[in-house]
Amino acid sequence: MGTVQVNGLQMRFGDFLALPDISVSVDEGEFVTLLGPSGCGKTTLLKLISGFLKPTAGTIHIAGKEVTHVPPETRDTAMCFQSYALFPHLSVRENLEFGLRQKRIAAAERDQRLDRVAEQLKLGPQLEKLPNQLSGGQQQRVALGRALIMRPTVILFDEPLSNLDAKLRDTVRMEIRRIQKDYNLTAIYVTHDQSEALALSDRVMIMNGGRIEQIASPEELYWSPRTSFVADFIGGANVLDAEVIGGKGEDHWVLSTPLGELVAASGTEPKSKKIKICWRPEVVQPDGNGPNRIETQISERSFQGSFTDLFFTAAEQTFRVQLPEPTVRSGENLAFSIRPQDIVMLESMQ
Amino acid sequence: MTWRRWLQVILLLTPGLGLIVALIGTVVYIAIVQSFGLYNLTGESLLSAEHWAGVLERRAYGRAVRYSLYIGILSALFSVALAYPLALWLRKPFTGSVAVGAILKAPLLVHGLVAAFLFINVIAYHGVLNQFMQWIGLWEGPRRLQNDSNAIGVLILQTWKNMPFALLILTGAVQGISDDVLDAARDLGAGSMARFRKVIAPLTISAMQAALVIIFIGAVADFSFQVIAGPTNRQSMAQLMVFYKDGGRWHDAAVVGVSLMVVALVGSALLAFAARFILSGRRFR
Repeated sequence: MGTVQVNGLQMRFGDFLALPDISVSVDEGEFVTLLGPSGCGKTTLLKLISGFLKPTAGTIHIAGKEVTHVPPETRDTAMCFQSYALFPHLSVRENLEFGLRQKRIAAAERDQRLDRVAEQLKLGPQLEKLPNQLSGGQQQRVALGRALIMRPTVILFDEPLSNLDAKLRDTVRMEIRRIQKDYNLTAIYVTHDQSEALALSDRVMIMNGGRIEQIASPEELYWSPRTSFVADFIGGANVLDAEVIGGKGEDHWVLSTPLGELVAASGTEPKSKKIKICWRPEVVQPDGNGPNRIETQISERSFQGSFTDLFFTAAEQTFRVQLPEPTVRSGENLAFSIRPQDIVMLESMQ
Repeated sequence: MTWRRWLQVILLLTPGLGLIVALIGTVVYIAIVQSFGLYNLTGESLLSAEHWAGVLERRAYGRAVRYSLYIGILSALFSVALAYPLALWLRKPFTGSVAVGAILKAPLLVHGLVAAFLFINVIAYHGVLNQFMQWIGLWEGPRRLQNDSNAIGVLILQTWKNMPFALLILTGAVQGISDDVLDAARDLGAGSMARFRKVIAPLTISAMQAALVIIFIGAVADFSFQVIAGPTNRQSMAQLMVFYKDGGRWHDAAVVGVSLMVVALVGSALLAFAARFILSGRRFR
């Protein structure tokens, strides 16, 4: 049972409250990513789970056992560090075996685990080399192997791909996911890269200012964000203020916005009369004949390959629209429509 | 490189390095040849090994070599052993860490002779230590601590004087180890001792060797601490050398001097080798 349960966790550094009150549960074999901007508390939470920090309040349970005050050396977790943290004076083999020797695993078992990890991560030819003789990707694989070889209940990743180039990052990312599934490991992964989080995770936990904004599957986060922070942080949605001016049918709501009157379809009622709403740049219907028709002048155009970003300004706010092959140029008019179900109602306005 | 290039390099190095080599070379040369009977200051010079034979036969010489090695090795080990935990403690800045570091390094500013006299005052028959121990009731009467036969006083002085130097070297080395590397060792199950033995010591071995060697060379040739606080039944090699010189026996003094250089050279090499062999981290995987 590789579950992780965090209840009412609080972390204070002097006068600074890094985490006010965090409660979250991670299931066995689940891959959960902690995502958020720098300083949001994601690494602090990871360090609390790994035992490198002691919480000011709250509890942590791993596999049903309380480990809140258990030191990292006796906690059944393994960490993959952002800097890889390989022992520079030890060969790849010695790095991989380090933890096993600490736990006094028998030589035969040790060799067997080493062979498996070396084969899986294609580290065979590198075993006798020192870390400084390896490329960044190889070092990352050694760091991953050193954690995996321990067969921990929970594996923790602290931005492990941030030092790799874009191409290598994609390869190692897939490798991490494959291995996590192969070993059915419970994984907690910290990153500030939203594409990494969406591609890897079963669930993503968005953090902001030490608080959890939302924890959900990548799809749910993307299409049904609960707050304007999540909507903006994931995929850069167009967020705007709105006032509910009436209902239309069972689950349609008429909203007054800086873009004019819009109709939103939602299974839930708006949280108050004045709310925030959002829509994704790619959901627009270019024909402009549907509901929620908007006609505007494009101020800027940015080609992105498979799509083009078109920007326009309304009520001193810049909005973004994504279209596959738009013919419209900067300064020209564009008409488009937004389906009511693509408009998401968010939190109440402060 | 062409010979012209070599010549250029040598000429550029000569004003600085050449002077050092010339001065050290001259001293070493004079000491060696004087130990073989040449450069006689009081009589006729005669090339001979009789001074070596004579000095090596003396029991006082053997005792002096053993005693100097004892002081040199233990002082180096104690200084480094004491400096390590302090370097680890001061690795991360904390409130007051600069002040603590400065206080710990203060002995570097106190001359050895002054320190030895202060120490003698403290441990004297009616000194502060004796009075304090009687005051707290641990000792009934004053005890004779000065010039103890095991040279514990000298070892304390040597450690007190040299530990800050070891601390200075080791602090830099210990600060060079990243937090992540230490955290990784911890995460993989290494406790404090294992972390020291398998990560910290191997990664700071060069600094440790430098500290051991420099302290050893200084302590093995100790004169001032030995004269003031050392045992009266034994002489250090430096003390023996001065003893011979004061008696006008320059050739015998040169024999002890050359021996001291050899002991320092071989001893420091062995000490450095032993440190690397024991603490390289790979034997103890």
